Amino acid sequence: MEPIIKLENVTKKFPEGEGEFVALKNINLDFEKGEFSGIVGPSGSGKTTLLNIIGSLDQPSSGNAWVMDKNVAKLSHKDSAQLRNLHLGFIFQVYNLLPVYTVFENVEFALLLQNKSKEERRKAVMQALEWVGLENIPDKKPSKLSGGEGQRVAIARAMVKEPKIVLADEPTANLDATNAHAIIQTMKKLNEELGTTFLFSTHDEKVMQYLNRIIHLKGGEVEKDEIITAQNQQS
Amino acid sequence: MKLAFQLAYRNLVGAGLRTWLNVGILAFTFIVIIFFNGYLDGWNLQAQRESIKWEYGNGQLRHQDYDPLDPFTLTDAHGKLASSKSENLSPILIRQASLYPEGRMISILMKGIDSQQKTLSLPTEAFQETDAEIPALIGQRMANSNNLKIGDQILLRWRDKNGTFDASEITITQIFETDVAGVDLGQIWIPIEKLWEMTELNGHATYFITTENYQHEKIEGWEFFSKEELLNQLKEVIEMKSASSSILYLLLLGIALLAVFDTQVLSIFRRQKEIGTYIALGMTRWQVVKLFTIEGSMYSLMASVVGIIIGTPIFWYFATNGIGMPEYVTPEDMGITIAQRIYPAFSIGLLVGTLALVVISATIVSFLPSRKIAKMDPVDALKGKVQ
Repeated sequence: MEPIIKLENVTKKFPEGEGEFVALKNINLDFEKGEFSGIVGPSGSGKTTLLNIIGSLDQPSSGNAWVMDKNVAKLSHKDSAQLRNLHLGFIFQVYNLLPVYTVFENVEFALLLQNKSKEERRKAVMQALEWVGLENIPDKKPSKLSGGEGQRVAIARAMVKEPKIVLADEPTANLDATNAHAIIQTMKKLNEELGTTFLFSTHDEKVMQYLNRIIHLKGGEVEKDEIITAQNQQS
Repeated sequence: MKLAFQLAYRNLVGAGLRTWLNVGILAFTFIVIIFFNGYLDGWNLQAQRESIKWEYGNGQLRHQDYDPLDPFTLTDAHGKLASSKSENLSPILIRQASLYPEGRMISILMKGIDSQQKTLSLPTEAFQETDAEIPALIGQRMANSNNLKIGDQILLRWRDKNGTFDASEITITQIFETDVAGVDLGQIWIPIEKLWEMTELNGHATYFITTENYQHEKIEGWEFFSKEELLNQLKEVIEMKSASSSILYLLLLGIALLAVFDTQVLSIFRRQKEIGTYIALGMTRWQVVKLFTIEGSMYSLMASVVGIIIGTPIFWYFATNGIGMPEYVTPEDMGITIAQRIYPAFSIGLLVGTLALVVISATIVSFLPSRKIAKMDPVDALKGKVQ
């Protein structure tokens, strides 16, 4: 089976003073459809940069990053926007909800960009809110939500268009243990029910215990690529 | 585009007070621009109407030597027109004279006019209703400045065609009210037949007022000025006035646009994460530029709606009741025709033109800072790191 994400010698450099900082060095990784994987590592190890490249928000300095058979290194702004709109969902550490929109409108946003009809949008949004257990508060503004609720809205927003891949950047970093478990369980459930590929960047042990695969990054390089079997998880 | 409007509307309504402050100042500007222009248009229309009614008729056929701005031309600027060519023309003869009210001497223009004429609103029919030796019409301003009233008899001294002085008493038979200083101050109107007799310039005229049916053919020694040409001077003065007033409302518009510009710059800085999120959710950078530009121009659209709602009763009130000019503002002070009460004229063209001006300029000042988004790195935007 063709991998849904394929990274070939991905290197990312950023200018730093007179020289440059190498955030990622020759990364070669494949991700299959339906994976529930995490990229872990200390701060500055390149987790978020890798996620941004896969999410076509950034481009590698060299190498190729194939996402849904599209090389993000060579996509135009318009094509990468289309890739994100149709196939990618994002969950951010600080939720990034649009402050003037209600819960319903935040979740609806991605569907507006897809020109879905009002009825289709309403059904899909309510379905997504049900997935995350927020179907009772569609009219609340983000400022009135708790941290856990905010992140669940972000999950609903990422999932409402039923994307092939969801990229979650430190999704539990701002949550307490109870909410972190609840959030990660919700995502795990969606991964199992809808077959969506989830890719996390995290250093949260609570997240790691749910992952099927953990890629350890250190200094921009893959230190270890660990497949977690059911046996591993139990132990 | 529909989506951009939909999102922009949501963003603006969601932004609350910030939106309404911008809308408020733009709406105020919108109302002031329309009001000022409507006021000047009203003044212009009234002044044109009054000038045609009292002074210009449908045009003037002037003796070639006559210059209304040069009194020295009056001595020789007169002539006769063959009766075959004087159809639809009403003669006016102007001579200089001196009037002696209450023992003082004032220089005046003595104007002879056909008592049968109907083209100008001067009440010349009064000549036919009096048996005074030399009946005279004067304007209210002339009467006020010289303390004259109907029935007064005042000594008049003039020269005939040979330069010989003569004098007689005239009787004020009618005092008319007009906003046109050009037929009022420093002048008296008497029957032209009488003036011909007094000056021995039988059949002569300085100029002719033309009626609607007049068809002009070139006549040697005479120059025709159409109604439009005569109104040009008036229009030029009002346009000049309009240009100077426009400085005021351009300043006002500038302040309003600065508020929009400032809001946009601040918005782009403060809403970096939002911009990054839009891009992450699948918008292109130019779609976000468009969204922010439309947000800015929607201020002006909302301001227009607010301006129309608030402005309509104000415009209606002033268009109906007019704006009274202070007593001391007179046509002679202003140098052109001005009524004591001006009724502003608010045309559809003025409304649409002002709307277009406000919307286009707000769109431009919204677009300028929004272009920065096109160069923004979405990753930096998501982190809020764009400087």
